[in-house]
Amino acid sequence: MLEVLNLSKSFDNTQALDDVSFKVLPGDVFALLGPNGAGKTTTMRLLMHILKPDEGEILYKKEPRSKLKRNLFGYLPEERGLYQRAKVLDLLAYVGVLNRLSHHRAEIEAIRYLDKLGLVDYTQKKVGELSKGMQQKIQFIIAMLHDPDILILDEPFAGLDPVNQMVLRDIVYENKKEGKIIILSTHQMSEVEIMADHILLLNQGRTILEGTLEEIKSRFKENAFYLESEDNIAAIRDIKDIKIIEEHNQSCKFAINGKDITKDKVIQTIFQKIPVKKFIEVEPSLNEIFIKLVQNGTGKSSKKS
Amino acid sequence: MRNIFYIAQWEFSSRFKTRSFLFSTFILPILFSLLITLPVYLITYEDTVSTKLIGLINNDDNDLLEKLQNHLNQNYKLDSGSPEYIILPISVENSLLYKEAYDDFMTTTRQLDSLEVAYDDLKTLREKYYRSGTIQNKQYLLKKSYDELIRTREFKDLVQLDFEYYKTHLDSIYNKEARVAADSLLIQNILNAYLVIPKMVYRSSSIEYHSLKPGELLDSERMQKILNEVIIQSRLQEASVNTMQISHWLKPVKLTRYQLRTGGSAEWDFYIEFYGAVIGVVLLFMAIFTSGQFLFSSVLQEKTNRVIEILLSYASSRQIMAGKIFGLGFLGLMQVLIWLSITSIFVFFNLFQAGQIPYLNAENALYFLHYFSLGYLLYAAIFVAIGAIFSSEQEAQQVNIMLRTIAVLPVLLVFLFLKEPDSGIITFLSYIPLLTPYFMILKIAQYGIPLSTEIYITSAILIVSIIGMVFIAAKIFRIGILMYGKKFTVREVFLLLRSS
Repeated sequence: MLEVLNLSKSFDNTQALDDVSFKVLPGDVFALLGPNGAGKTTTMRLLMHILKPDEGEILYKKEPRSKLKRNLFGYLPEERGLYQRAKVLDLLAYVGVLNRLSHHRAEIEAIRYLDKLGLVDYTQKKVGELSKGMQQKIQFIIAMLHDPDILILDEPFAGLDPVNQMVLRDIVYENKKEGKIIILSTHQMSEVEIMADHILLLNQGRTILEGTLEEIKSRFKENAFYLESEDNIAAIRDIKDIKIIEEHNQSCKFAINGKDITKDKVIQTIFQKIPVKKFIEVEPSLNEIFIKLVQNGTGKSSKKS
Repeated sequence: MRNIFYIAQWEFSSRFKTRSFLFSTFILPILFSLLITLPVYLITYEDTVSTKLIGLINNDDNDLLEKLQNHLNQNYKLDSGSPEYIILPISVENSLLYKEAYDDFMTTTRQLDSLEVAYDDLKTLREKYYRSGTIQNKQYLLKKSYDELIRTREFKDLVQLDFEYYKTHLDSIYNKEARVAADSLLIQNILNAYLVIPKMVYRSSSIEYHSLKPGELLDSERMQKILNEVIIQSRLQEASVNTMQISHWLKPVKLTRYQLRTGGSAEWDFYIEFYGAVIGVVLLFMAIFTSGQFLFSSVLQEKTNRVIEILLSYASSRQIMAGKIFGLGFLGLMQVLIWLSITSIFVFFNLFQAGQIPYLNAENALYFLHYFSLGYLLYAAIFVAIGAIFSSEQEAQQVNIMLRTIAVLPVLLVFLFLKEPDSGIITFLSYIPLLTPYFMILKIAQYGIPLSTEIYITSAILIVSIIGMVFIAAKIFRIGILMYGKKFTVREVFLLLRSS
């Protein structure tokens, strides 16, 4: 288990991170969310030990970060820079040996990954000759080549076409299955909803939301429902104890209003009056929660107690 | 340690085969050597293809022309065997002024001549009167002829004055007009130069040499040498010294300069000392700055393209810095070793008489490696720090240029150095760490004897500065390398050093 305890970091006069804590279990995909400048990259750099925290500590298997071997971690930085003149295989082997692989082993692993990502024909090409997407895949390989326990991926899918996104997502899944800790940051909420087990929303260096995807969604549930019928649904207006949020000819969205009334009772009433085609409980999208939280409160921690 | 090695290996191999390394290892030294030796070659060998005309304005009545020509012919010949210099007496016969003066002079000369004849005749006549015992009115005749003689002599003296005047006048006209004529011949490039011989040159010993380019030392120095020989020889001839003896006496002395060195004395040659020293210093400069430049751009590039984040993930900032410094230092060492091997090939096969150049020996090669290593480490630490502080190549380049200027200072001071290698200012400058390696290379080439004390002192100075600078650079590197797009002020760097 990776534990982050009360992490704080400031640069000059800016508080980049303020008392951030979280835990990640093996096999979990942990998503760091937040607007630009929220402290996601700083958190990742602290995890990678590129920066040192002003306060707080990072523990993995109860060992402090400074005692851990660097090659337990794999990092895909947000900034996509590579040696443009180096040959693909040479570059991968170089990073491999830095991470305690033998040169031979590093080359074998590199070729294995290149093959997996459809780049095996490019081993002797210079990095600068590859497309942007290909270079991003190379960086992905750099992060994973040495088989680290913890993968830290900063905006891993940004700027990739859907097909490549899918290829890389599959690799992340594979790592998840192998019981690795995966921490990623992204702006794409849809991505998070598909992949993440656990979410941490940062804003201005502070945690404003943390929990599993289900927990968060249930917490932000508005007790709202969506109804679709084959007929006109005007009859819905007659039902007490509900508040109609949106109404169209054959569909509507409503919330249960009354205090005494239960969900089941309302449903029963509705089913009696209207021929229902589709009836679902509306969950707030992560995107909505994100925007709501970031816009509303900057400082207020709505952390689960 | 392991990572330092891998980073060093990566830095080395990714630069070793680059065009810029090959260029600065093989092409640049050749270009540079040509650049500094070519002018000397040209000065020494230029213009020997055609005969040079040297004008002569001779204000003295002597046979200097002939003697000068003979001596020049003996000493300087073209490859074809024909004389290199031809002396051309400057003629002024076309000048009207000279013609008039000449006519006046000739009239007076004739007058003087006839008066002298008349005077001599009178003297002969008086002698005849005096000796003859039979002549009548002897006393009267003697008296009368005496009066005549006195009168003639007085007249002659007066005309003599005239003659002197016209002669001086003619000479000065000749001098003036001949210079005008010679100048125009110079301008038309008919003459290479002309000489003005004063009156009584054997006594005054002062001769003028006129040319459009008096900076061209070769011809004027040759003329001086030959004129010296000719005039001294003539003086001796005037003193009736035997010609054979003169040439024996005047046999020139050849001074060969020797310098005490380890392994015996060796002949001293200014060109070898001068250019050897300059080439040595410039090679050291090139070696340090080639690797330093690579180091600097490597740091700066990784900072701008953010590869540094990947590196920092798997290696500490100290490992990265050390790996870079050692890797590129090894590259520089490689460059120096390549040069040393080329040099030893020259020495071994004695190309360009390299075997006779005393400072090209194994011991000095080791000193060169020694000062390259220390100098490189010092500059490397500085380059690492600068690379980490600045975020664009442009900004960093300005500091880089400043460093180069400092480092090239010894090359500019070579003249000062050769004049007085032991002067206080040179010693002082050679103790400034940034300059030490260069001055020591100059000194080692200059002195044959080991400068052990000096070497210990300067090495100690360098090692202390390296330790200090590496310490500072490590701090700056660790923090600066992650500060993107931020420009540091001097104050911030200072604070950064104090805080961390």
